[in-house]
Amino acid sequence: MIPFVYFTVIGFGVLSVVYISLSLYSRAVRREKLEAKWEAGPKLINRDAFVKRGLEKYDSSIRRKLILGVYIGPVVVIALIIYLTNFS
Amino acid sequence: MTTVIKWVFWVTFWVLVAAFFHYTLPQRDMVRVVDTFEQRVDFGENSIFWASPDVGSDATAINRDVLFIQAVRDNDRVMVYRNEDTGWSWPPYFKFDTKNLQTEAADLKSTKADPQWAVITHYGWRNEFLSIFPNAISIRPVVGPDAGKGIPWLNIVVLLVFFAIIYAIWVRWRRFKAARITPTLDAMEDGIAEQREGFSRWLGTWRSKK
Repeated sequence: MIPFVYFTVIGFGVLSVVYISLSLYSRAVRREKLEAKWEAGPKLINRDAFVKRGLEKYDSSIRRKLILGVYIGPVVVIALIIYLTNFS
Repeated sequence: MTTVIKWVFWVTFWVLVAAFFHYTLPQRDMVRVVDTFEQRVDFGENSIFWASPDVGSDATAINRDVLFIQAVRDNDRVMVYRNEDTGWSWPPYFKFDTKNLQTEAADLKSTKADPQWAVITHYGWRNEFLSIFPNAISIRPVVGPDAGKGIPWLNIVVLLVFFAIIYAIWVRWRRFKAARITPTLDAMEDGIAEQREGFSRWLGTWRSKK
């Protein structure tokens, strides 16, 4: 039981680091893109308001939720390995 | 001299990487199972080459019984496999079915006169000087020694991904070096040369004027 707890806790920790880094990076990229878009556009509204609105849209988008795959992917792979090693 | 040190370092590094993959990645042997046995093992300096006790049992005991599978390979050389759970630790085979595997292996026992061939998937090394054994992962019967062991897809994928990552890091490092480190070093060298000039000029002010 103890090795399993170690494995899940450490695995969760490592994946969380990856998840958080990836989230921050992805948000920063989106912010840069929005800023570039504002520069190129007709500049009808304030720059900060434009970026803020874009980021809010991004926060509720499916793209952002896809980053959760960082957790799902390894779990699926491990389940597959367990099946192949022990039950086939 | 620095070139020699560089070479020694990188050759050592890549030999270790190769040894790591050779030990950890699965390999397949065409074998005939001769017998199976069980023996208590007191782990000594070779303890790193043994896996973990059965999942769920006490992991703190200093010795335990280990299952072994004795086999003869298709090249007529003998091989002894250990059969241990890897459980939730390294290497990530997540093997829990040790006793089942032992039963399957025992079921495939055959004699030289009437051989039943099988493919054993295993990882690890046999080394007589350290008393270490490869760990059997799975076994499946085949019609004969010419049946083929299959294409090692997993190894191909793992190695491809590994070298892709290494290549990506290497390319970025080279770019970073060209863009940042080389110019900085050059600037530093120039700076030091200039300072030297300044220093000797300052020294000159102390020399007696002719």
